[in-house]
Order: sequence, then C-alpha cells, then structure tokens
Amino acid sequence: MTENVLEVNDLTMHYMTRKGPVFAVDGVTFHVKRGEAIGLVGESGCGKTSIAISLLKLLPNNAKILNGEIKINDVDTVPLSDKEMNKYRWKNISMVFQAAMNSMNPVYSVEEQIAEAMREHMPHLSDQEMSEKIDYLFNLVGLDPALKTQYPHQYSGGMRQRAVIAMALSCDPDIIIADEPTTALDVIVQDAILKRIREIQEELNMAMIYISHDIAVIAEVSQRVGVMYAGKLVEMSSTEDIFHHPIHPYTMALMSSFPSIVGEKTELVTLAGEPPDLLNPPAGCRFHPRCPYATEICREQEPDFKEHAVGHYAACWHPGGVK
Amino acid sequence: MWKFLGKRFLQMFITLLMFQTVTYFLMDAQPGDIADLLTLNPDIPPAERERIRVDLGLDRPPAERFLKYIGNFYKGDLGVSFSQFPRPVTEIILERLPRTLVLFLSASVISFWAGYASGKVLAWKRGGVIEYSSTLVGVILYTVFTPWFALMMIWLFAVYLDWLPPGKFLDPILWLTAPEGIHANDVFVRMIWSVMIATGVMILGLIGTQRLSSQLRKTGRWVSFVVPFIGVFLYWRFASSGISLYAWDILQHLVLPVLTVTLIAYGGTMLLMRTSMLETLREDYILTARAKGMPEKIIRDKHAARNALLPVWTGLVFSIGSSLSGGIITETIFSWPGLGLTLLNAAQVEDIPLAMGALTVTGVMTLLSHLVADIGYAFLDPRIRFS
Ligand SMILES: Nc1ncnc2c1ncn2[C@@H]1O[C@H](COP(=O)(O)OP(=O)(O)O)[C@@H](O)[C@H]1O
Ligand SMILES: [Mg+2]
Repeated sequence: MTENVLEVNDLTMHYMTRKGPVFAVDGVTFHVKRGEAIGLVGESGCGKTSIAISLLKLLPNNAKILNGEIKINDVDTVPLSDKEMNKYRWKNISMVFQAAMNSMNPVYSVEEQIAEAMREHMPHLSDQEMSEKIDYLFNLVGLDPALKTQYPHQYSGGMRQRAVIAMALSCDPDIIIADEPTTALDVIVQDAILKRIREIQEELNMAMIYISHDIAVIAEVSQRVGVMYAGKLVEMSSTEDIFHHPIHPYTMALMSSFPSIVGEKTELVTLAGEPPDLLNPPAGCRFHPRCPYATEICREQEPDFKEHAVGHYAACWHPGGVK
Repeated sequence: MWKFLGKRFLQMFITLLMFQTVTYFLMDAQPGDIADLLTLNPDIPPAERERIRVDLGLDRPPAERFLKYIGNFYKGDLGVSFSQFPRPVTEIILERLPRTLVLFLSASVISFWAGYASGKVLAWKRGGVIEYSSTLVGVILYTVFTPWFALMMIWLFAVYLDWLPPGKFLDPILWLTAPEGIHANDVFVRMIWSVMIATGVMILGLIGTQRLSSQLRKTGRWVSFVVPFIGVFLYWRFASSGISLYAWDILQHLVLPVLTVTLIAYGGTMLLMRTSMLETLREDYILTARAKGMPEKIIRDKHAARNALLPVWTGLVFSIGSSLSGGIITETIFSWPGLGLTLLNAAQVEDIPLAMGALTVTGVMTLLSHLVADIGYAFLDPRIRFS
C-alpha cells in the first residue's frame, strides 16, 4: 500500500461549447494521503465539481480530459475505458453529489439502491451480511435502520442526504468525495450532517475530499485545503497555514472576508471585479486583473504551482503580497 | 386498496349510465327506424310496417323505451337484435367480442412492448443514421392516416407479396368443406385459451424464478419460456390435429389486422419512450448509478428505462380510447367481424338493441382498461398511493 490514495498530476480538462472550449480544470496537481481529509474551496464556477467528476471519470459528452494523470492507489485511471473504470468507482472512490436531493432513484427503496452497489462490488457478501451492513451504515449516518425499506420520497431532505452518504460508504471506499453535500439543506440540518461527516471520516479513517464554496465549512472538516481560482489550484497547504499564513493574494482576500476565523487584525483586502470568464481567461496569472499586487510579470507569465514552505504550495509571483 | 376499488367501480357505474343515456337518445335521434327501411320493399304493405313497429315497441315514446331498456340491461337482458331477429344481442356480442379483444389486446401489448424496447435503445445510443431513420419511421407511423395505411398494408402483403389473406376472419371456401361440428368460434376460443395458458405459464415462471440465484434464474426463465411454446405446438399438432388446419386459417387472417394496428400504435409509444428516456438520462440519479460503477445495461434498463416508462404508461391510458375507436375503422377495412364492424352495421340499419349493446360493451372495455392502467401505474410508481 502506498501512502497516497489519490495523486492528481497536471490534470487538465475542458468542456467544448459552441463558443469554444471552457478550461474548467487547468493543470491541477495535488494528492490525498490515506485517511486524510482535504478541502477544496473556491467561488462557484471555478471548477470544483469538474475536478470531482474527472476523478470518477463521469464526464458529460462535451467534456474531455486533455492531459494529466489521476492515480488511484498508484493506478492511472485516465486511460481506462468506462467499463474498466467501473471497477474503481464506488469500490475505491465514491462520491456524494452536490444535488444529493435527487441522487436517489424514486422507484426503488433506499435499501435496494445501497444493496445494488454492494452486489456489484462485493459479490461475496450474503444477503444476510448485506442487510446487516446496511443496518450498520444507517446507524453510522444517524438514520433508523427500520426506515431502510422506504422509498426516497418518504424521507426528508436531511434524511435523504444521510442515506446518500450511507450509500457512498457502502463499499468501503478508499476515498470519498463530498461535493457541497449540505448546500441544499437548511442551516440546522447542515450543521448536524457536517458534524456527522467529520466524525465518520475520523472513525473510519477514510480519505476524503470535501468540496465547498464556504471556507468556514472547509475549516471544520479538513486537514489540508486547496484553494481554486478559475480552473486552477492557486494554493494548497495545511488548514492552519491557509487560515493563518495564506500566501496567495486570492486566499488572503478570501480569508479576510471571514474575520471571525482569522481573528487577528489583518489588512482587509477587498476583491474588486468579477471572476474571469473561463472561455477567455486573462493571460498570465488568471487572478491579475483583481490582484492588488499585480505587476508586469503577472500580466505576461503564468506562475508555477510550487512549494514555498514545507508542504505549502502556491502559484504566485508575489507570494504574501511582497513586491 | 379495496376502498379505492369500490370507489372506482361506483364512478365507473355512474359514467357508464351517463354514457348509455347519451348514446341511447343520440341513436334514437337518427331519423327513421328499422321499419322505415322496409319502405323500399314493395311486398310489405304499410299496415304490416306499422305492425312491426308496434311489435318492436318503436311506437312508444323514447323515454319509456329507454327506461325499459336500462331496466332490462341491468337484469342482464340486452334484448333481441332487430336486424338478425330473433337472435339475442348477448349471443351476438359473445361471438364478436373475442375477435375484437384479440385484435386489440395483442396489438396493444406488442406495440407497447416494442415501442418501449426500441425507444429505450434509441435514446441510449444517441445519434447516427439508425436513430434518425427510426425516428422518422416513428413520426410517419404516428401521423399516418389510418385507412390509407391499412389499405397500403393490404396492397403490400395481400396483393403484391401475396403472403397473407387481405381480410375477413376466415376463408369461406375452406370452411365450406369443414366437417360437421367444427365451428369457427370454438376453434378461435381454443386458440385464445392456448395462448392465455402459455402466457400464464411464462409469467408464473418469471415470478417463480425471481428469488433464485442468477445462474438458476437464467435457466429457469429459459425453461419457462420454451416449455409453453412446445406445449402449444404439441397441443395443436396432436391433441387437436383435426382442427389445426382451421386454426391455422384463422391465424393467417389475424396477422395483417394485428400487424396494422400494432404498427400504428407503435409509432407513438416509441417516440414517447425515446423522449421520456432522453429526459430521464439527464436525471441526477442516473449520474449516481454511473458513479456506483453499475454496468451499462443496469443503468439503461433498471434505472433509466424504468423511470422513463412512467409517462409512457400514462400515455397508454389516453391511447386506449383512440385505439378502440380506431378499431372500428380497422375492422371495417379488413372486414374483420368484430364488435366494431357489428356496431357500424347495426347503427346503419337502426338496429338499436344491437348497436346499444356493442357500444355499451366497448364503453365497459374502455373503462376497465383505464382501471387496469391506473392500478398498473400505482404499482410502477411508489410515489402514487391508492387514494
Ligand atoms: N457540461 C458543461 N458544459 C459546458 N460548461 C460547463 C459544463 N459544466 C460546467 N461547465 C463550466 O465549467 C466551469 C466550472 O464548473 P463547475 O466545475 O461546476 O464549478 P463549481 O463546481 O466550482 O461551481 C463553469 O464555468 C461552468 O460554467
Ligand atoms: Mg459545483
């Protein structure tokens, strides 16, 4: 067993649209260690979901992975066919979707939808073992196992989300991706589920990628955080570093909009302007039109995503805002 | 469930009563009556015509006749046909109904199944010449003018290719020499029974093998499909060998009308299934199923098609009425002596009891098929409860 469950190297994918290609993921590199929870944060539309569906290779017809490697347990899955990929899906890498409210098929019971995946990936389980495992999973996510024979429409939004999480855990994946799993829920339910997810992650010691646009949520669940901007990973480090010593101006701006977290009196950097149009991204550093520290080089050359301190990566010509 | 059924039957009864009232008075409102048709016959003096009218009760006011008719109807007496006097209407209907039911049911089942299966595959394998041409064929079948299409089918299969008889229920020349005691309807009813029993065995086989392990299930299903076929073959080959020649004749006459009605109904089902399937494939739970690493076939059949079926099934409810009324046209063109043709002939000669009988039975059939479709829907969609 290697140390890294997941290694993503220089991943680039685009969507073909009538107006041209949209580079939603551009040269992204990161890894996830066994049992580690990382967070991916960024504004809506910056490509978080695109990374997630690339990892499972669930791309829509107009999308294509152009370059890079996605290594799951050291196997590069980019060249695999859809059928070969099916062996990895759910068994090694599973996902809780953003639109989890409708992630369940209305005409089958919740139990059947969980059992179906287990029958596919764990054929050695007997019906009895499968049923027991589903009870265990229901308890784990905080649902009454007696409800497992019910249909999705009989569940509330929060219950459905818990059931979807139970389903994602059913085949003991090495890594689970949670793509804004609580966004569609009301605040109290959000908190309860978030807490459960963190507990489960620790209890099962399972690797996780938690995706959110909300930096406060990310802070709660992850040990390391990656910050995305316009299809690129611009900074990645331990949660502690990202919150207290961010070096990319975009991260700095992001943090200062959450003064309660930063706590100390930092200079409030306001973000002027709009996120760039991914059809026509700006040359050089994609953040330069909104960056208070931008200089000539930022407008002309793209900065490399490189290590600035131990384990602290960023793509910036002026890390920390130093000219 | 029982409460639901009770309520539905009450509703159906009221609907039927209203239907009977309206049709009776509409039928009566046709100018003239059956006695007038005798006017042209110089051998029948006016006094005799009047006597016939009194005998048949046609001199009484319509309201009185209607009440009497309804009273007798719910006692199970549908009266006596005027035009085939003195045959009871019930007897005529019992003779014609199976022919219509077979035509209508087999066409509905085949077209529904074929439309479902092909619409599903077309939506799954998007693009290409096959999808384009199949959709085109579907649109043509869906919009084609039924009588014209039926005539074209007759021309192609009965005239040009000369594979099938052009119409009618049987070949009179063959049956003229049939031995004493062989009646077309008996043969036909036996044919229906053998198909029904075979289907029953298949369905039981499907249900019975459901809980078996996948290997046993495959074998079990295969057996339960093959055995009924062999059984039916053996039955007609040996047990009923004396009449199998005549059964074969009826079967040949059945093919063309069934094929025509099937094709017409198929177009709509296939197009609807394709569209519905394309919609369903965009649903989030399809993405979930793919993420779960389920094989393509399970995603297509178990997840997508099963949900895409729901609106198609609803469409079936609407098409039932139109295929029953379309049945009259088809039966006329193919001279198929079923209920529709009986109704048409009876209405033309002012045979009120027979026309009313045929109409009422058609109405009951429509109501019953709607009920079956509704119950079926409740089974297909767990979100629907009987209420
Ligand atoms: N199917 C698609 N076709 C074309 N463009 C898409 C498609 N899906 C997403 N995009 C574009 O890709 C970019 C990234 O989207 P997404 O990964 O969903 O962002 P996020 O999850 O961070 O909100 C957006 O600009 C979005 O408009
Ligand atoms: Mg998203």
